[in-house]
Parts: sequence; structure tokens; C-alpha cells
Amino acid sequence: MTAETIIQSLASGLLMGLLYGLIAVGLALIFGLMDVVNFAHGEFLMIAMYATFFLFAFFAIDPLLAAPLVAAALFVFGALIYLLIVRFAMRAKANAGMVQIFATFGLAIVMRGLAQLFFTPDYRSVTHSWLGGKTVSVAGIFLPEPQLVGALVSIAAFAGLYFFINRTDFGRALEATREDPGAVALVGIDKNRVFALGWGLGAALVGLSGAIMAVFFYIYPDVGASFALIAYVTVALGGFGSVFGAFAGGIVVGLVEATTALVLPPSLKSVGIYAVYLLVVFIRPRGLFGSM
Amino acid sequence: MTITRRDVLLGATATATAALMPLAARAQTSEIVIGLTYPMSGANAQIGVDAQRAFETAVDIINKDLDLDLPLAKGEGLPGLGGAKIRLVFADHQGDPQKGRAEAERLITQEKVCAVLGTYQSAVAVTVSQTCERYQIPFMSADNSSPSLHRRGLKYYFRASPHDEMFSAAMFDFLDALKKKGTKIETVALFHEDTIFGTDSANAQLKLAAERGYKVAADIKYRANSPSLSAEVQQLKAANADVLMPSSYTTDGILLIKTMGELGYKPNAIVAQAAGFSEKAFYDAVGDKVAGVITRGSFSLDLAAKRPMVGKINDMFKAKSGKDLNDNTSREFMSMIIMADAINRAKSTDGEKIRDALVATEMPGEQTIMPWKRVKFDEMGQNNDADPVLLQYVGGKFVTISPAQAAVAEPIWPMK
Repeated sequence: MTAETIIQSLASGLLMGLLYGLIAVGLALIFGLMDVVNFAHGEFLMIAMYATFFLFAFFAIDPLLAAPLVAAALFVFGALIYLLIVRFAMRAKANAGMVQIFATFGLAIVMRGLAQLFFTPDYRSVTHSWLGGKTVSVAGIFLPEPQLVGALVSIAAFAGLYFFINRTDFGRALEATREDPGAVALVGIDKNRVFALGWGLGAALVGLSGAIMAVFFYIYPDVGASFALIAYVTVALGGFGSVFGAFAGGIVVGLVEATTALVLPPSLKSVGIYAVYLLVVFIRPRGLFGSM
Repeated sequence: MTITRRDVLLGATATATAALMPLAARAQTSEIVIGLTYPMSGANAQIGVDAQRAFETAVDIINKDLDLDLPLAKGEGLPGLGGAKIRLVFADHQGDPQKGRAEAERLITQEKVCAVLGTYQSAVAVTVSQTCERYQIPFMSADNSSPSLHRRGLKYYFRASPHDEMFSAAMFDFLDALKKKGTKIETVALFHEDTIFGTDSANAQLKLAAERGYKVAADIKYRANSPSLSAEVQQLKAANADVLMPSSYTTDGILLIKTMGELGYKPNAIVAQAAGFSEKAFYDAVGDKVAGVITRGSFSLDLAAKRPMVGKINDMFKAKSGKDLNDNTSREFMSMIIMADAINRAKSTDGEKIRDALVATEMPGEQTIMPWKRVKFDEMGQNNDADPVLLQYVGGKFVTISPAQAAVAEPIWPMK
């Protein structure tokens, strides 16, 4: 094993990890805000990838330009999902947790089914784009441009989210609602508006990841499943409810995955992720940055 | 009361007879129901959808009166059963061996099918064929290529098409021939997914490489449907073998090629174990990056020049699916024709009689759409006269480059 191989692995792992982080942040945001796990998170990603693909296929819009459009569309979509489905699921008198799980889980299955019905199960791919297939090579280390840009977008999006939560009125309302959804009503904050905003933001973030990923990944109705699983592990690893934790967790997952593939047969590379996850759960059940 | 061994045997026989009663009652119907189990949702759903079109094309030919040199094409339905027509029942196994088992059971007990065909993924074929064996219903592997499938001593298992040892042997024959002409081929890199398909394929290739004196520079087993293949591709790149030999389904094939481009790895040649590398979706996604890729196959549209029927059937399939027949859909099509032919000769929908008719099958290659010598099953249910071909992707389509008697063009080597 040469030094080059090791550095290349770590670099690939870091780039992939930042993307995992970006996917997971939306999940962590929604969970932190209202204790609801969005089991359709992977399907949000899938919809974002299809949206990017169709903008490319029909209007020749490059995924890089499409990213903000897709994020905006997903924002609306996420807010609508809250207002039309999750809001009602949260009103359940008995077994509220279960009802929420089934509501988002059911949503995931419906979205997958509709995608297969309307888009067919064929594998799509953005064949030509400004970033696709291009690589920056530094001293023999290859940094694929799509992942590189994805990493930058991920850092920027996280910084933006951090600023939004900590420095704006809406962010403060978000934080307050998270602390005590009952009390905020007394100061005139509409809980539903804040929750809808949270869902919109969460969906917009996963929308960004989807647009970036469409450049280097294939697209089909079940594409969300493999990434969603990693996102759940990432959130649990980083600490439930912690947006920063999800981001850091993503980086850890990416690096662990890459190093495991270096020392173990590649078919076992996810073993490393789950081993670290178990270790963290044993030592620190609330996750690395969890505050619960 | 003491229970003797004889009582237990009697009881067991009675139970077995009771369980088999509905099977016997199935004979003599005006409709022949055949079950198919494919991934109709999930990662390989497109394979299932395409397979459905291929089987429907075959059934159209059987049920309608057409002038083609295929068994059962002329005249409507199956003459051996008074012109009975075939009806297909599709079941979705989602690529999951356990769902495959349950769906096979449902097809046999609820839908009363008299034969089952499937399954694309070899891992699912294992459970489906065992279920069929238990109910004494013939199962035909239409497109499974794992060699271990027919070596389990099952009585009701059949496969008309080649398996991966035959395919791999064809690949190494081809490499040997190139070497003889002076091309430098010393090392190979294996890249295979971690279910029975990839594992069996790699085992066959490892054995052949050792026998024929090729050094295996890398043997990388990866997890199917992985979100990233960059670590794997780095290892392939480090090994830098003369030939890369992937055994991957479509999703992984696309990701492999995209990642190879990103990490600056371009092998001299790729010789693929079909699967993803024979799918249109794969070439739609990365076709420009794999000009000159070679894949094994059991079918070639080139054959239409010698056998016009192949072109006609391809047109019929294309009208339904919008795609040309490929390695998978051609094998699916043929297995339906072969199964229907056996049912026709059995003159019955009884599982055992159909099995006997399958055993007696002797179909000349000219009556198929494949470049095969003939269809004849050995005692394991495997057809050993199904000669594979190697195809090269040139100018946006496949041309046959090996073996010599089927080739229409010289191979382009190296591919880049």
C-alpha cells in the first residue's frame, strides 16, 4: 500500500463524507425540531435527482444551475408534506410515535411507487454536464469535480444553515419552537409555520445533495434507499437533533468507509461504519454531539 | 397405540397425495398458465419490465398463427393440448431470495401454474427452484448464469442457456487467441459483486486464469448497490491489469465506469460478464466512455443476416419495448418457446410429464434465435450445446467478434 493510495482513499472518503453530511443534515434538522424521523428522506433525495435529470433532459439545464431551482422546489415540497401529511399524523391521540413512523414510511413507499409508475424503473443518468467526468489532479491524487463541488456546496450550505439558525429571527423562532412548542404560541409564533419551514429547509438541503449527486450517480426509483440508511446512521452517530453532529457524522462515516475499504476486502467496507456506530452508541448513547 | 414405521410412511404418503391432488386435477385445460418471477420493483425493476415484454413476445408467437421457423409459431396455441393458449402470471421477487420463495409458492398453489421461469438474479433462482422441486413443477432458469445452480441434483431444474463457466471459458478462449496473434495479455483484474452471480463468476474466472497461465492482478469483491466505488476503483487502478473483467449488474456497472473516469483509470480492455454490460440503460448512461468494451453474450443481432427470423422477432419485441433484444431478453424469449414446446409434447399440464418432455427436448439451433448448436438437456438439466459469443460495443452497437465461426468483425484491441 503506497502513501498515494492512502491519501487518495482519505481524500475520496472526505469528499464522500461531506456529501453524506449534507444529506443527513436535513434529517437531523427535522428530527431536532420536532422529534419526527422522516423515513421518506431517501425518497426526497430521489425526487431531487429526478428533478435535476428532467431539467437536464428537457431544458438542457446543467445540474449546477439546476441545484438552486431543485432546492427551492424541494423546499415547497417539504413544507407541503408537513402541512398535508405530517401535521395530521402528529395529532394522533394514541401511539403518536408509531403513527408518525407509518406516515413517513408510507409516504416513502408511495413516492417510490409513483416514481416507478411515471418515470419507469429504467436507470437515468445526466450524461453531459459542466462537472461530469472531470477531475482535478493534485500530485497524483484525483479529486473528481462533482464531488469536490458537492463538498464545497455542503460546507457552504452548512455555514448558511448555521447562520440562519443562530442569527435570524426565523432561526430563533425555530430554536424556540424546538425548546417548547407550547410556549411559543403565547408569544405569537405560529408553530405550524415554523414546522413547515423546518421541513422545507430539510428538504431543500437534501434537494441540493440530489442535484449534485445526479452528476455522478445513476438515478432510479429506489436510489434513495442506500443513502437514507447511511443518513440515519450518520444522524445517530453525530447525535440526534444536532445539525452540527450530522455534518461531522457524515465526515466520520465517509472517512471510516474509505479506510475500511483499504484494510478489509471492499465488500466489507460498511462494516467499519457500523462498528464505529456501535462503539459510539456504547460509549456515548446520545451520539458524538447529541445533547439529549 | 403404537406407531410403526409403516404407519408413518402411510401417513406421509396420504399427506403427500392430498397435497398433490390439485396438481393432478390441473390436467386437460383450455388455458396453460405459466408463472414468471422477476424483479419488478427495486434496483433491477427495469430487467423485470423488459423480461415481461420478451415473454409476451414469445407468447404472442405461440398463441397466434405466424410464419416463423420456431416451434409452435404456426397455428394458434398448443396443438398437443387442443390449441390451448398460454397465459402468463408475473410475480415480483424484488431481487430478494426470500420473496422469491414466497412468490414461487404463491404461483404454484394459488395461481396453479404448471411451470415457472425466472429469475434474473441467481441468488433468487436458488430458492425458487427449490420451491418448484418440492411441488414437482418444472423450473427453467431463463437468464441465470451461475454454474452452481444446475449442480444441486434437482430433478425439475432446467437451463437452456450457457452458464458462467461456459461464458468465462469463451472469454479465455478469446484471450488465448489474441495472445497467439502476439497481443500482450498477461494479467487480469476481476471485479465482482458479492451475491452468487458475482461470486460464481469470479470463481470460474480464477480457475480458468490459473489453468491458462494468466496472473490475477486483483480480485475485488464489492458490495452490490454500494453508494460509492472509489476505494474499489483505486485498487483496480493500482493493479493496472491488461484486462479488466467485471461481473456487475447495471447500477454498479454505471457507477464503476463513472468512478473509473473520475479517478483517471482507463484499462486496455474490459471483458465483461454481461449482466449490466448488456443493458441499454448502461450504454445510455456511459456509452461514450466504454467504446470498445467487450461482453459475453448468448445472442447477437448479427445473426439476423443469416437467419431473417431473428430480425422479425426483434422487430416484434422492439414494438413492445422500444429496445432491441439483448443477452437477457433473448434468453428469456427462448426459454418460453422451449418450455411451451415441452408442454405441447407432454400433452399435459402435469409437472412430471412436462419434466419428462423437457428431458426429451432436442431442438436444432436453426429453430432458435440464438447462435446455439441445439437445445438438449444433460442429466443435470443443463444445455451444454449453447455456445456463447463475445460482443464488442463499436459505433453505438454490438458486433460479434468471437468465436471465429460466429464473428463478423475483428476485435479492436486495446479498446482505448
